[in-house]
Amino acid sequence: MAALLAAQSSDYSRDMVADNLDIAADEVAWIRRAQRADARAFEALYRLHVDKVYGLCLRMTGSVAEAEDCAQEAFIQAWKKMKKFRGDSAFSTWLHRIAVNTVLGRIRKSKRDQDRLQVVAEQQEAPVTMGDTGEMRDLAEAVDRLPEGARHVFVLNAVYGYSHDEAAGMLGIAVGTSKAQLHRAKRLLAQQLEAQGFEA
Amino acid sequence: MTTEYEDRIEKAARSLRTEISPERDLWPGIAEAIAEPERSRWTPLLAQAAAVILLVGGSSAITYMTVKNDVQPVTEVTPNLVFERASFGNHNLGPGFQDARDGLAVELDAELARLSPAARAEVDANLEVIHKAIVEINAALEQDPGNTMLQQKLLQAYREELSMLRRVSGLTRNVMVRNDI
Repeated sequence: MAALLAAQSSDYSRDMVADNLDIAADEVAWIRRAQRADARAFEALYRLHVDKVYGLCLRMTGSVAEAEDCAQEAFIQAWKKMKKFRGDSAFSTWLHRIAVNTVLGRIRKSKRDQDRLQVVAEQQEAPVTMGDTGEMRDLAEAVDRLPEGARHVFVLNAVYGYSHDEAAGMLGIAVGTSKAQLHRAKRLLAQQLEAQGFEA
Repeated sequence: MTTEYEDRIEKAARSLRTEISPERDLWPGIAEAIAEPERSRWTPLLAQAAAVILLVGGSSAITYMTVKNDVQPVTEVTPNLVFERASFGNHNLGPGFQDARDGLAVELDAELARLSPAARAEVDANLEVIHKAIVEINAALEQDPGNTMLQQKLLQAYREELSMLRRVSGLTRNVMVRNDI
């Protein structure tokens, strides 16, 4: 029985690896076709990556409407820049960079338009659940309440696992600033969550 | 509150979902945007060039007409020129300019009546050239509202129009003087 389970498990793993390899191969083909202005291939790339891009936009903005706009704009920008993608990084990382730029660009524009993003954030009650449950929802909401700079660094570094070098590069800030913002974010989160009895 | 607690929060954050599905399909909006042919950055420049050509052509034609045309007073009055309010992007031009323009525009019909049909047709055609230039510059300004060169071209076009109205007015007055003599 154990041998059967091991064999099944092994088969399952092989299937998973094979599936991933298929997707990776498909992705490379879609990228090449999208670089030749094939909208259908780009749609396939969109379907493959939209959850990652939208997730990042949602974590960074804390607003469904803003996140939808940012994700759409990020993919439109990606389409325009497809020929510039050389494969130096993973396509998902490249898309993330574009998404972060889009979010920052929209925030800068909104600030010029009288801090619209902030007003939207203030008008909304708790952020949407984002699919988190239980204590993770408390944590997600606490993250959303962080000041903008601290939130962006925390999302990129702590949630998405980007290094300080990468996060600083994406956000256009110094590595030292990224570290300081992460420290600040953790301190503010601890203050909020400890008061709520959050068990980390 | 300890550093250890903060570190545990950081660790817990790694369990937050990184992939979240949007509540609606965003693709239709993207597909629509990428299907549009990319608007050329040269369009405003082409519009500027076209406007300059139209203005120079219009101005030259007016000068030629003024010098060359043998103007005859006539009694038939049929011109039907319509003037839009002079605008500058979202702003209207100053009241002084507007008053002068409106005044001349109102007088224009009567003044044109003194011209021969051929001369009147020339004036109509040249005013149309200037108006077309104004419309084109305004369209280019809609795409690039901060473009100071376009703004200058627009002002130049309005000045050209005003100047032409004055020239027509002066021309017919001269005719009147000659007729009186």
